[in-house]
Amino acid sequence: MSYIIETHDLSKVYNPDTTPVYAVNGVNLRVEEGEFTALVGPSGSGKTTLLNLVGGLDYPTHGDVQISGVDITRMSENKLIDFRLHHIGFVFQAYNLIPVLTASENVEFVMLMQRIPKREREQRARQLLGEVGLNDKLHNRPSELSGGQQQRVAVARALASKPRFILADEPTANLDSKSTENLLEIMAKLNREDKMTFIFSTHDQRVIDKARRVITLVDGKIVSDTKQ
Amino acid sequence: MLFKIAWRNIWRNKMRSIVVIASVATGLFAGMFMMAFFVGMINQEIDSEVETTLSHIQMHNPAFPDDKAANFTIDSGQQIVAHLRKDVNVKAVSARVITTGMISSSSTATGAEIHGVVAADEQAISSIAQDMREGVYFSEGKHNEIVMGEKLAQKLGVKLHSKVVLTFQSRNGDLTAGSFRVAGIFRSRNSGFDETTVFTRFEDLAPLLETGEGIHEIAVMLRSGTTAAAMAGSLKKEYPALLIQTWTELSPEIALVTGVFDQIMYILIGIILLALMFGIINTMLMAVLERQREFGMLMAIGMNKKRVFSMVVLETILLTCAGIPAGILLTIGAVAYLGRHGIDLSSYSQGLMQYGFSNRVFPQLQTSMFLPITVMTAVTAVLSAIYPALKALQFKPATAIHKI
Repeated sequence: MSYIIETHDLSKVYNPDTTPVYAVNGVNLRVEEGEFTALVGPSGSGKTTLLNLVGGLDYPTHGDVQISGVDITRMSENKLIDFRLHHIGFVFQAYNLIPVLTASENVEFVMLMQRIPKREREQRARQLLGEVGLNDKLHNRPSELSGGQQQRVAVARALASKPRFILADEPTANLDSKSTENLLEIMAKLNREDKMTFIFSTHDQRVIDKARRVITLVDGKIVSDTKQ
Repeated sequence: MLFKIAWRNIWRNKMRSIVVIASVATGLFAGMFMMAFFVGMINQEIDSEVETTLSHIQMHNPAFPDDKAANFTIDSGQQIVAHLRKDVNVKAVSARVITTGMISSSSTATGAEIHGVVAADEQAISSIAQDMREGVYFSEGKHNEIVMGEKLAQKLGVKLHSKVVLTFQSRNGDLTAGSFRVAGIFRSRNSGFDETTVFTRFEDLAPLLETGEGIHEIAVMLRSGTTAAAMAGSLKKEYPALLIQTWTELSPEIALVTGVFDQIMYILIGIILLALMFGIINTMLMAVLERQREFGMLMAIGMNKKRVFSMVVLETILLTCAGIPAGILLTIGAVAYLGRHGIDLSSYSQGLMQYGFSNRVFPQLQTSMFLPITVMTAVTAVLSAIYPALKALQFKPATAIHKI
């Protein structure tokens, strides 16, 4: 069996020389393609740190992370940026769109960095924003969109680079219940129909209920891993 | 799109961007206006020196400038003058007899350089006739008149129509003297000149010097000062026995002053730009630090360091580029107005006139100024962008994304 994500004895220790804090402590994780996985646990349990390590946003203190068999923990910063661009999609809690670009331009931006021709970029941005139900908001800037709409643009942007998987750090934390429902439906549909792999950290029971696999972290360690 | 993002980013905080644009424009204006001021001042000084004393070209017997003895005249001077008058490049020619001697009034005496001139010719070459404060630049049909500077008149305690005695050595080495009546008192822009130089008529001085038709100095005013070197070159070939000098050779200190002013100007502009650089660094650093989360996100989704660096540099360049035309327009406007009305420096007139500078300066813009100063400002912008851009590269996406 080949895994899209594999971690071996993954640890992240802050202040190793003074008062060591194990944000992630010896995590062994395997994620198959097409999974819809929730990382849950109390605040400070290491969910965000684990997502950062898996997404190549941070380097571990011990262990390694392999994406489709490629060890990303040995990559230089520049190579890692390039790897993220082509293989990993991100959705952040605070949306983190580029405020001076329109919804369409935000989605196109990732493809621009991939050097995709303008016409193809525009077409794909329109198609992706259509998939997340924002056909009529192509030319609106983030400040003109609601939180839920901004997060849907973020999902479209994450999909734009055709990544292997999408990491979402508490994607619904800032959304009302209707927007949460809406976003979850979109993510579940993408997972179901396009086999897009999603891993998201969350506290939200409605999100946890939608997940097909739930991994619980406490003090940086996996304490349970259940499929539902 | 990087350009689009950079351009839109600079308008995210309009007030801050306007302050930077205004400081770039002011810096550029300060630099260029200062140059225009000094160029105007120096050009006025050159014009003044050329019109008052030097003219564009002077011709002498090679022994005359060092000794100023009456016997060192130019052979066939009158023929040379007549020949020069036919040249199309020549605006005016004046033949002079010159000696040094004593000028005495009833109360005191002092040294002076005495110029014997043909009034009509001299008026075509020198501005002294326009600088008369009292009396006239020689009256029609009168002899033994003298025109002197205001400072010398004050020193000697003489007024208009007062009598003075000139004492000097004649061609034969005899001490000779002549009595002259003050016909006019002038005040040129050079108080040093006013204190040491007097003018008499050629036909009054030459007999006393016993030089006959002899000439000590031929002053040539050209239609354009820029042809002085070329004209002097051809005259040297034509009259190899004579000492022929352009105004820059006659007064090397002016060329030196011009060179020194050029260097001072660039040093001052450098200081202005250095101050401007710190202002830009401060603003851009603030802009970068408050967008930490955005830079973190950009790096997280795959924007490489080269692009992040370029974006910050581009934002700085765009900000500066908006300031450059504003600064140039401001300078053109100010110089157009002050170039017509002048800047009154009369409160410093005593010091300025001592060095031959006018107390009203008319700034002059030279098109050659625009390129170096604009390039210097653009280079300042690029240099200012480096530190904030490097700072942006230091952000770690994992932590920067969570910055508020």
